[in-house]
Amino acid sequence: MRIGVDTGGTFTDFVRIDARGLSTHKVRSTPDDPSRAILEGLAALGLKRAADAASGGAQRDAVVHGSTVATNAVLERKGARVALVATSGFEDVIHIGRQTRPELYNIFVAPRVPLVDRGLVFGVRERLDHTGAVVTPLDPADIDRLVADIRAVGAEIVAVCLLHSYVNPAHEQVVAARLRAAGLIVCTSTEVLPEYREFERWSTTVVNAYVTPLMDRYLGRLQASLGRAASLAIMQSNGGSISATAARAQAVRTVLSGPAAGVVGAKEVAAAAGFRHVISFDMGGTSTDVSLIDNCIRTTNDARVGDFPVRVPVIDIHTVGAGGGSIATVDSGGALRVGPRSAGAEPGPACYGSGTALTVTDANLLLGRLDPAYFFGGRMTLDIERARDAAAPIAVDLKLSVAELAEGVVRVANANMERAIRVVSVERGHDPRDFSLLAFGGAGGMHACEIADALEIKTVIVPRQAGVLSALGMLVADVTKDYSASVLQRANELTAKQLDVRYQPLLKQAARDLANEGFAGLKAKCTRWIDVRYVGQSYEITLPYAPGYRAAFDRLHGKTYGYANKDRAVEVVNIRVVAMGLAAKPRLPRAKNLKASTPKPSAIRPARFNGKSWKTSTYRWEQLAAGARASGPAVIMGAEATAVIPPGWAFHVDRMGNVICARTSR
Amino acid sequence: MRVHPVNPIDFEVFKNVYLAIAEEMGVTLCRTGFSPNIKERLDYSCAVYDADGETIAQGDHMPVHLGAMPLSVRAAIDAVNMRPGDIVILNDPFQGGTHLPDITLVSPVFVGAKDKTPTFYVANRAHHSDVGGMSPGSMPVAREIYQEGLIIPPILLVRGHGHGSREGTIDTAVWSMILANVRTPDEREGDLSAQIAANRVAERRLLEVVRKYGKARAVGYARALQDYTERVVKAAITKIPDGVYAFADALDNDGFSDAPVAITVKLTIKGAHATVDFTGSDPQVEGSVNANFAITLSACLYAFRCLVEEDVLYNAGVARPLTVIAPAGSIVNAQRPAAVAGGNVETSQRITDVVLGALGRALPDRLPAASQGTMNNITLGGASLRRDANGRAIPFAYYETMGGGMGARKGLDGLSGVHTHMSNTRNTPVEAIEHYLPVRITQYSLRAGSGGDGDARGGDGIVREYELLTDTSVTLLSDRRERAPYGAEGGAPGACGRNTLIRDGVETRLPGKVQMTLKAGDHLRIETPGGGGYGKRAK
Repeated sequence: MRIGVDTGGTFTDFVRIDARGLSTHKVRSTPDDPSRAILEGLAALGLKRAADAASGGAQRDAVVHGSTVATNAVLERKGARVALVATSGFEDVIHIGRQTRPELYNIFVAPRVPLVDRGLVFGVRERLDHTGAVVTPLDPADIDRLVADIRAVGAEIVAVCLLHSYVNPAHEQVVAARLRAAGLIVCTSTEVLPEYREFERWSTTVVNAYVTPLMDRYLGRLQASLGRAASLAIMQSNGGSISATAARAQAVRTVLSGPAAGVVGAKEVAAAAGFRHVISFDMGGTSTDVSLIDNCIRTTNDARVGDFPVRVPVIDIHTVGAGGGSIATVDSGGALRVGPRSAGAEPGPACYGSGTALTVTDANLLLGRLDPAYFFGGRMTLDIERARDAAAPIAVDLKLSVAELAEGVVRVANANMERAIRVVSVERGHDPRDFSLLAFGGAGGMHACEIADALEIKTVIVPRQAGVLSALGMLVADVTKDYSASVLQRANELTAKQLDVRYQPLLKQAARDLANEGFAGLKAKCTRWIDVRYVGQSYEITLPYAPGYRAAFDRLHGKTYGYANKDRAVEVVNIRVVAMGLAAKPRLPRAKNLKASTPKPSAIRPARFNGKSWKTSTYRWEQLAAGARASGPAVIMGAEATAVIPPGWAFHVDRMGNVICARTSR
Repeated sequence: MRVHPVNPIDFEVFKNVYLAIAEEMGVTLCRTGFSPNIKERLDYSCAVYDADGETIAQGDHMPVHLGAMPLSVRAAIDAVNMRPGDIVILNDPFQGGTHLPDITLVSPVFVGAKDKTPTFYVANRAHHSDVGGMSPGSMPVAREIYQEGLIIPPILLVRGHGHGSREGTIDTAVWSMILANVRTPDEREGDLSAQIAANRVAERRLLEVVRKYGKARAVGYARALQDYTERVVKAAITKIPDGVYAFADALDNDGFSDAPVAITVKLTIKGAHATVDFTGSDPQVEGSVNANFAITLSACLYAFRCLVEEDVLYNAGVARPLTVIAPAGSIVNAQRPAAVAGGNVETSQRITDVVLGALGRALPDRLPAASQGTMNNITLGGASLRRDANGRAIPFAYYETMGGGMGARKGLDGLSGVHTHMSNTRNTPVEAIEHYLPVRITQYSLRAGSGGDGDARGGDGIVREYELLTDTSVTLLSDRRERAPYGAEGGAPGACGRNTLIRDGVETRLPGKVQMTLKAGDHLRIETPGGGGYGKRAK
């Protein structure tokens, strides 16, 4: 059996797959020690404890886990005491950053506080030039002094970051070896990210150092608890998984893994339902994650965690700080704002019973788009009077009725979402009309059709597993590892043969690492990628490597930015290898029979759309058979998510139990 | 054309729409630009304008472009009868520009196939690494504008194919004329292509907006957005006690004489209106620190935008409650043929210092001590170590600016090593510079102790040291080398900046503004000023 485990702020989700099929489970999270909830849930799903697992002899079970331990360590500043060794004269690179202030017009702008104290930064005399040639050699006496200094300040881990190490790692390696010999834990910038641009590379290395000790302890404990009962793999930000042992060494690669798993899950259920071009739309309580899947998931090397750049490959996800819990307010100029403040899980939307602020969820309730008696499958009831009380003062302020205000709150929230979807589609050269919208997270299905309307998207998919899509994504994620090397040479000065030679060490390392993860032959797949730009540009485009990559680059540049110039010289910035160990893909359960039927609503209630009240059918998702179809307006309430189908839209339920919505008129 | 009453919900939706367009223009420029100034340092601005050339939304790019961009659009409208698909180019500081390296492209947006006049304009301005003139990088210590580079009045760069078509053709005569007058034509060509692409992106988006919401609503809400910003700025001015507040400060010199160049301001607050009067400031000078009116206006708009705490859209509404008086022929409203390269980058900072200083007299709790007050401009140029196919050395021209100390705020230290006020450009990575230029950076660090002491400390400046690997023409345009950034409420001033040449181990102090040819092996050390402190430190 394989189990995907997603630790969230409120719940820890489990998806289990074995010969009998797929099952899901939820346990309240235990933030003080997330592993408690995990072990509890695993036991409930029938995974044997370490002590009982010695016998048996059947194939080992596998657990794939994604957690926010590393992300939270950065955001809450609970990571390790890191020392930084930098080229002398450049000790402040991390503190200066890109020399910009975070806000343009805010006189009281707060400082950006790096993850390493200035007092824990140590210079080492050495210097390479941009070709990797030594300008100033390392002095062994200098390193001895360094060891003593770092010992004196009591750092848990040392990040070694030297200029131009991406072309020649020798100095970093010598320093690291000496520090390791002295018993210190070390990571070097070239081990983490052998790419040029010192601030971004060093920042990534410092983040890695900051989270590594914590992740190492956490995963170590978890591995010990599981023992031989199951292997443990960890979700990475690039959408692949990796063995816990490997993850413990490069924790930075796991920092954005939660949303990444959601995208992987989205791709899986979309593909199973026959959709290959989708925009995943994960709307939770406080934020919304949007990503574009064009047959494959897209990654970027341009991510941040908190204030800090992290240049390892990360699924290209755009996040906006608006969700179901976002609070509506009126600003001093009389405009309606939704977010960025959020009621979060505590106190939550007014209708949950303790909060008093008007949120997007309250607005949906006031519009009749939620059944107060059957929220979360009946596990919770909603208090519409509290929502109305929260809305009343704002409605008076804006001279609107409560219903008009509620519709406005939803529209403003949708405008934020629409902009997020434009960022991942239009700004990257894709037309959203060529995609379907796959909505999940607690609130995604409630907003998706109206957002799709605004973007002229014709199809919306609300998956059956909308509430546990991240855990499902972990379950199906391939083992994925990324390797890169900076090249910085003109394409016309590089023959295909020379490039082949450059790729070899990466490919060898990739094959070795995959073998260590247990993948070989057809299950091990390495693909070559190349970062290219016009000579003189600073931003490169990553494309699959083939000898004709030059023409492919021109095409892609033209598509993304509106112009291309096949006569202009191009430059190869980095080469990349992506190594994948293909996981056995579980087949999602599907109904044998698909018979068109007209479902019977559990209730018919008024709901408001486009400024009018409509008789709206409410359905319980669990009671909808495959093949059920009906027209909007309709509300489908499920145990994990709600789908709202406005007038002008219709839906049907497919074999997997997904709700597929399609526009019937404009 | 206010046919629809303003609905607070549509209002918020349109705010998102217009800001997103300005931002998308910026993304296009940054991703496809060739000058380090554009792609690494993000020295550009993008905005959307209404039919009168008034700003609807400007991206959060460069404050010094705030007031200047609409004047570019105005100059283009006045000079050229624009048709669909046309793009006007300009950089003339006395016709809508700021200084010559800033090249602006203005496009009209006709929404209907038969429209006689545009409904919108879009424009973007980017700092090019070289536009010719007496020294590489085109930021010289000059005596008149003709020495500073190629002057481009508002003219057509792209000619539209007429009504019903949104396409256009680049005017090859203009194009080759420009490229023939610059040192690095290949790079210019790439940058201009990126600028054209950015305007085209915005045109497409605006047409989508009109198709979706209708022209009347799109135009009506654009106006509502301007009115809204105006209301918010007026509310902020109303909170300032009525009165007259004066302040004066000076630039170190103009690069030719040693005399300081004084800028004085008299700020009159009356209800919701503010008059900023620079009468009494020094006349325009021989050197290149002259500011045209666009720059002075930008500095005033920036200062008042800072008083607004709400997250409002920057647009024409900010200017409406302000009257700016800048006597023609003075340092803050220079006339042709004044040299202006440094007006945009240096004088703009001092104008900001005096306006914020005057506001500080009225609202001491809310205004900061002086920030570094300079951008520490350095321009390098010469023959690179690279050769072209014919074995000739490929020329290079490179420009960058440096952050410094931010002034302390009440109860809050100033930030260290950042760009302040009129600029917010990024640095160029050391590893990138060394890859492309015959220069090695031997130190890049904070300048410990340079921030002014006080209850809250000023931020520290930066130290950056260059080793030149070949003979190189170097131009420095920097200020606050003689006259320190002021402290506030009893705080100490920040340390002055310092420029030093190190040749054969011997250190020589360099002036703040200088042009010279340095030899391979020379080191040049720039120490940028610290920010002023705030409040007397309790002993």
